[in-house]
Amino acid sequence: MKAFFYGVSLQWKLDIRSKTLLITCYLVPLLFFALMGGIFTSVNPEARRTLIPSMTVFGVSMGAFIGLPPSLVEIYGGSIRKVYRAGGVPDWLGLALSGTSAFLHLFLMSLLLYAAAPLAFDASLPEHPAFYFAGLALFILVSLAAAAVIGLAVKDPAKTPMFSILVFLPSIMLSGIMFPPELLPGGLQTAGNIFPAAWGYRLLAESGSPAANLRALLVILAASASVCLFLVRRVGK
Amino acid sequence: MKHALEVCGLKKSYGSRRVLKGLDFQVRPGEIFALLGANGAGKTTALECIEGLRSYDAGHITRHGSTGVQLQSSSLPDHIRPMEAVRLFAAWNRTGPSPSILEALGIPALGKKQYRHLSTGQKRRLHLALALTGDPDILFLDEPTAGLDVEGRANLHELIRRLKRGGKTILLASHDMNEVEALCDRMAILKDGILAFTGTAADLSEKLGRRYNISIRTSAGTEQLETSDILETLTAVLERCRKTGTVISDLHVDRGSLEQHFMQIAKEETNS
Repeated sequence: MKAFFYGVSLQWKLDIRSKTLLITCYLVPLLFFALMGGIFTSVNPEARRTLIPSMTVFGVSMGAFIGLPPSLVEIYGGSIRKVYRAGGVPDWLGLALSGTSAFLHLFLMSLLLYAAAPLAFDASLPEHPAFYFAGLALFILVSLAAAAVIGLAVKDPAKTPMFSILVFLPSIMLSGIMFPPELLPGGLQTAGNIFPAAWGYRLLAESGSPAANLRALLVILAASASVCLFLVRRVGK
Repeated sequence: MKHALEVCGLKKSYGSRRVLKGLDFQVRPGEIFALLGANGAGKTTALECIEGLRSYDAGHITRHGSTGVQLQSSSLPDHIRPMEAVRLFAAWNRTGPSPSILEALGIPALGKKQYRHLSTGQKRRLHLALALTGDPDILFLDEPTAGLDVEGRANLHELIRRLKRGGKTILLASHDMNEVEALCDRMAILKDGILAFTGTAADLSEKLGRRYNISIRTSAGTEQLETSDILETLTAVLERCRKTGTVISDLHVDRGSLEQHFMQIAKEETNS
């Protein structure tokens, strides 16, 4: 356990040094928040009610789908995994460390949004903070698990951003944070439900049935985790 | 005597390509054993099977003792610092390399330099330090001096000798005959997936006869000669130049490349 915690603290430092994660987990989401927060609330004052969940869903999706896969491709696509394995470091460690560190960064970014939104845009705080933060933790976990599938499945670092964008863009566009999904054609509404962002947004905004939202996120988590497990075992062979 | 490492009938194919066709050799405790072969001969595949990093199709491998591995193609996260990598590996192995070994490898002196800024030699030294994590009994080194300058090679050779004096058994893959002769007690030459030779450098010389290449550059051009009698051939060449008044601008003698040794071995096998 001591070795794992040392690994997490080391990965946290590596992420800060690499700057990539800082850009995808902090800089872009917070800039987007600063810009779009003002636009959303001036165009539609009602947006103050859902500003924190919508900006959080954007930031978490961005950090997970754009930030995590390159780190995993660096470890599992090249010879780092082999060096780790040769040195007695288990195959799953790269995934666990990158995932844990990204989780902490995304949670911290979400806290910053939570604290800044009421001050900057007079945004409403969630009615049930405990439920909100539990849901947030689950949503970050699900997003990272889905993003890890890209990082483990794609071996070519040049192709990783393409696959990340292919998931990230529809995930955001169909999630309901930009406009209500009811305005979309039926097919796109259904397609939006494949991505964690749609369910995460409903959960954090306390829209729809909490049980259904939780169930959907848990299903995506289980599916993604199974694929990740399979992929880690495969690269270990 | 109980061997540190035993390899029996090791076979490995990639699809229809048979890379290893049945390797048999043993490594004695405390010796440096070289696995030699030209590029693509299957050294790395053999080594990775023996290290347990790659599955194999048939055969049996027995390792008596803990192992440490330095891979030919190694990498670490770009932003990790050398001592952080050592601590990470040490944390998973419950023990790290001894401070004296780390000092000898110059790892603490690398300080806050990140992996991406290390030179090839510094990376090689770091990966050797990581291979020594857990104080292994058997050390696998794959092309340990590839890409190093003369000083770097000499330093690493000295360190490998020091490890041997400390009782480590070392299996070293290389395509450098001089390195093998300088370091190793015994060697095996891998050719087309089989061992074409196993023994000491002296056994190899006895088997092949000493071969020398002579390259002589004069005003008339460059001449390449191959001989087993260096004294007679050089005397004849120099006498001829003296008689004809040819000016020698460069004269180079070497003991022949590994490739030539392979050719010699192949010729002997064909003849026999």
